[in-house]
Amino acid sequence: MASAHAENWAQFRGPNASGVSTESDNLPVEFSHEQNVAWSVELGLGIASPVIHGDRVFATTMTDEHTFAVLAFDAATGKHLWRKEFDTGPLQEITPPNEHASSTPVTDGEHVYVYFSTLGMIALNADDGKLMWRHELPKPFYLLAWGPANSPIIYRDMVYLNLDDDLDPYLIAFDKTSGDVRWRSPRPEMLGGYATPVFCEVDGRTDIVVAGTGKLKGYDPENGEELWSCNSLLRTIMTTPAVHQDKIYVSVQSYGDTQRVLKYALLQWSDTNQDGKLSREEVNEAFWDKFDKGDSDEDGFLVDDEIDHAFQSPTNMVGGGNIIQAIRGGGEGDVTSTHMVWNLSNTAPSNIASPLAVEGRLFVVKKGGISAAFNAENGETIWMKKRIKNFGNYFASPIAGDGKIYVTGENGFVVVLAIENDRPVVLAKNDMGDSCVATPAIANNCLYVRTLNKLFCISHPDHQSAEGAGG
Amino acid sequence: MVPLSKKMTSRNLFGSWLLAMGTLLFPWQSATADTRVAIITSANAPALEQLAARELESQFQRLFVNIDTSLSHQPTSEAQVIVLVGSPRTNPHLKEAIGESWPDISDQGLVIKSVSLDGQQALVVGGGSPVATLWAVYELGQRYGVRYLLRDDVYPQQKVPLAVDDLDMTLEPRLRARTWRTVNDFAMGPESWGLADHQRVLRQLAKLKFNHILISLWPWQPFVHYEFGGVKKQTATFWFGERYRVDGDTPGKKVFGGARFFENPDFAGLQDYDDLSTAGVRHLRGIIDAAHQLGMQVGIAFYPLEFPREFQAALPGSRVAHQLKSLTIAPSGEQHPNDPTLKALAATKVRAYLDTYPTIDALYFRMSEFPEWKEHAQEAWKSLMRGSQGKGLSLQDLIRSARSRNTIASGNRGEMSLKGNLVSLAFLQDLLKEEGLLQRRDGRQVDVVVTGVDTALFPVLDRVLPANASTLHFVDYTARRVAQNKELLHDVPVRQVKSRLVMTLADDNVGVLPQTVLQSLETLTDHLQDEHWDGFSTRYWMLGELDPVVYFLSRAAWDAQVTSRSVHDEFWNAVTEHPSTAERLWKGWQHLEQATTKIDKYALGFGFPVERMMMKHYQSSPEPAWWEEVNEHYTQLLIELYRAHSASTSPRGRSLMLYYAKRATYATEYLAAVKALREAAVAREEGDMEKAIEHMEVALEQTYNCMTTLADVARDQSDRGLIAVLNAYAYQPLKREYERLVDEEDSRQ
Repeated sequence: MASAHAENWAQFRGPNASGVSTESDNLPVEFSHEQNVAWSVELGLGIASPVIHGDRVFATTMTDEHTFAVLAFDAATGKHLWRKEFDTGPLQEITPPNEHASSTPVTDGEHVYVYFSTLGMIALNADDGKLMWRHELPKPFYLLAWGPANSPIIYRDMVYLNLDDDLDPYLIAFDKTSGDVRWRSPRPEMLGGYATPVFCEVDGRTDIVVAGTGKLKGYDPENGEELWSCNSLLRTIMTTPAVHQDKIYVSVQSYGDTQRVLKYALLQWSDTNQDGKLSREEVNEAFWDKFDKGDSDEDGFLVDDEIDHAFQSPTNMVGGGNIIQAIRGGGEGDVTSTHMVWNLSNTAPSNIASPLAVEGRLFVVKKGGISAAFNAENGETIWMKKRIKNFGNYFASPIAGDGKIYVTGENGFVVVLAIENDRPVVLAKNDMGDSCVATPAIANNCLYVRTLNKLFCISHPDHQSAEGAGG
Repeated sequence: MVPLSKKMTSRNLFGSWLLAMGTLLFPWQSATADTRVAIITSANAPALEQLAARELESQFQRLFVNIDTSLSHQPTSEAQVIVLVGSPRTNPHLKEAIGESWPDISDQGLVIKSVSLDGQQALVVGGGSPVATLWAVYELGQRYGVRYLLRDDVYPQQKVPLAVDDLDMTLEPRLRARTWRTVNDFAMGPESWGLADHQRVLRQLAKLKFNHILISLWPWQPFVHYEFGGVKKQTATFWFGERYRVDGDTPGKKVFGGARFFENPDFAGLQDYDDLSTAGVRHLRGIIDAAHQLGMQVGIAFYPLEFPREFQAALPGSRVAHQLKSLTIAPSGEQHPNDPTLKALAATKVRAYLDTYPTIDALYFRMSEFPEWKEHAQEAWKSLMRGSQGKGLSLQDLIRSARSRNTIASGNRGEMSLKGNLVSLAFLQDLLKEEGLLQRRDGRQVDVVVTGVDTALFPVLDRVLPANASTLHFVDYTARRVAQNKELLHDVPVRQVKSRLVMTLADDNVGVLPQTVLQSLETLTDHLQDEHWDGFSTRYWMLGELDPVVYFLSRAAWDAQVTSRSVHDEFWNAVTEHPSTAERLWKGWQHLEQATTKIDKYALGFGFPVERMMMKHYQSSPEPAWWEEVNEHYTQLLIELYRAHSASTSPRGRSLMLYYAKRATYATEYLAAVKALREAAVAREEGDMEKAIEHMEVALEQTYNCMTTLADVARDQSDRGLIAVLNAYAYQPLKREYERLVDEEDSRQ
């Protein structure tokens, strides 16, 4: 089944989080949890994507309420290779569709790196699952109990993790061999967010680019120094930017209009007695220091601006809305006015599913299975609001390969699209039999689909061998 | 009867909080050695008292810190606390401890009293009967902060030191018959529940002190077999003969675990009549046994004059009854009530129930909802009034009353209902005169309850019923309508005829949407108490939002002092363990009741779970203004629920808040689908097919969303049944129409 040259899909959304496979061909069109399954395994509950390096697939799961596991399988046959379990200790509450096993691992083929909220960053030997190092990190806290779901990436000899929570957000780099912290860059202007960092090379300089509250920022991957900032984003970002050549594409839907800063959400949901102000008891104890700093008149309550000042940076008081932007990478300082290539405000973006830059188009899909596409070069609309005939939520991000786009719905249907005459054409709608939040992976001419409880390797029937079939 | 001691009452609202605070303030108490607690029953204690003792031990272990409990028949000096369970009649140690202080109570009275036994601290937990003793245990748990829900119990998160001194309470019910209806019909109702589901709910109902179970049955169900005139019953089906596909493109299908059809788990895969009947009898006997083991009386309610269609051959002159799917026959207008064949067939059916379920306590004879048997009304009236003057009322008086009343059955329907009712009652009086018909195998006569007597007959109720029969009155579909017409209840001669009232907690005409009727229930419980009614029987389909109203009924049936608000606070403060949530939820529940009222008032039947449930809204008339109002009420409800969810410190409270919040979200999505469908119809009418298709897509999407929203929190068979119903009656018809419109548009282009 596997080709001689094994293609890697080593992190969330594959190469540079692009979601695009450039090597796999003859990818399957029609399949299901029973059809064209090369192999499948029961994993247990989780929403992290599988990652593939060489002939191995790595996945994570919660095997019980307090046990987190990393597993490795043979990519061709699904044969179980190893499993490493960790006692998580008490876990914080999270909000569905988030799950505790939510962070997608990253691998360089020698090690597998994975983040877990109560365990920190972990490095395992890719051959046998042996623990190489573990670096504990402060537990993240979220004002509205979303819970963490941030995924690490690798660049050269470092592992990076962006951990934007509502308490103490930061970008951190570890030495991938020793686990030592090479640098830690605080991001105090940020609120909770989930964008995976991406790399963008412009004029021979590679920046690590992170989307966060109100700002897209470029950092020096060697030392964490902030190089530039484009201050054009929205309050909350859960999507990951897509990079093509020197452009970074951001698609965000953040609840409410541009005036809706964090305090409105907090007064809506956390002010439980609806007296128009927040008391200490109405926020998690972890935020009491912030609370006290914001309580300028020291009356024990946060009112109006005090709420902003306590939890949202005064220098970054952005609200909600919808944006799709192309921002040229590189630069120095505030690049907002100099590097914005195009900027759209329309209803196309999803709040969770990331944009896909492929074949000169920026493709987006959101709740209801409503797709849109824009010319990547100039932002012109190719189509707006075309349904892909599968309703429901979209938490997984679209991916592409072999001229097809794979769009995975929370309902467990994977819709396969082709684009013909600048219009999306539904080639198939495939039932994976279980809810699906994880973004699938493409490698070795196969599609790896992680449903809520299982991992499937789907391949074109021409690729299937007797050895691997029968899942 | 005897008021609670002030101490107990003051603990009512925040008892568990105060006790929990005690632990925080005096932490050294939790470091002391275990308190030994001996729970004493007599060696010959009835089974229910033994159960009471086990339940009490289990509660103490979950409530109190550092205790060592034991069950025994003999007090021991090693115990620091002795709990005496039972009554002076059943427990000699209890008798010795309480002596003359045992209050004068009825068989349903409860006693919880701190006493001393040979100088030891002791607590009496007992009742006027074994089941009352069991209730006393649950009442004690309630006072210690436990809240009994329909699916489980919520205990305080923090265990506290045991305190049994200064307890002194005696309780008598103000409504003696607290009846729970079950089985009945529709996929979203308990007809879908397996025996295990029923058993679980029954255990909770015992904790809420319900004491009657009414098993409501339909002629087409697989629960009884009989043969008559050479015809064997062959019909055995559920949900009015519907089968619900839940595979393929079924939104929210994850809750069905890959099944092709939605099924009652006790009947999964069964097709054959004999197999279904065998499973049906096993299922029902299981419910009956479980209820009896909890001290409840069990009755079966059935239509004595309706039969599966195969009996048409054995009953010349019968007609197909006016019911969903037309699965049954009933007497026709021409058929005389004295028809011996009809009488023999009805008697066969009565005997079949008693032979199949020989331990039941009562048969409920249901009057048809849409009787067409009216031709002989005058004759029936004369027959029923024989030897009396009908209290000065003539049939014409009654007809005028039926026509002019303010309930759903008024005008022609009112007259037809009254006349059909009269003929049925005359038939029933005659039928039940048959010697031995109501005798169980053990020789005991089952109780007779007549349900659905027309309200116009209330003034002469004692004349129209069979001898010794009691009644269960159905006045109108919703509790709000009954409360609005409560003056009708004044006419019921409750001192001559034991009477219960049907309390609709959630109506099938309001249907698939979340609903509550707390304020109306308060009006009705007060009325029943004031007028000395025997009690009530619930009517509902889903457990959905029932917990707060069932809790209210369970408290209001015993305590005249409680109000809907006080019970609301008592319930939610304990469940969420946060003082601000009760206020939020009070506002939220008011919104829910206003939404319920508006649907009830403006479009009863809006969400009735039948084939055209969704597509009936596909009409080009303007959107009624009240739709938006209802939507706003559900939106405000869900906002309040999420606020309460944020505040609740109890995991169980949070999970319950999330369940309700998702159901409120579902309601807004369902309404959005209905609105979009209406807009699609308007656009189609205007010839704008592109727009019609767009609106239809929104309707489909919102229906999809509402089903997956429900699936996110589906907990029981009713929740799953509702998704199956929405799939069959909303999503699939919408999809078919959408595809038709798209094809039509494609072919036009």
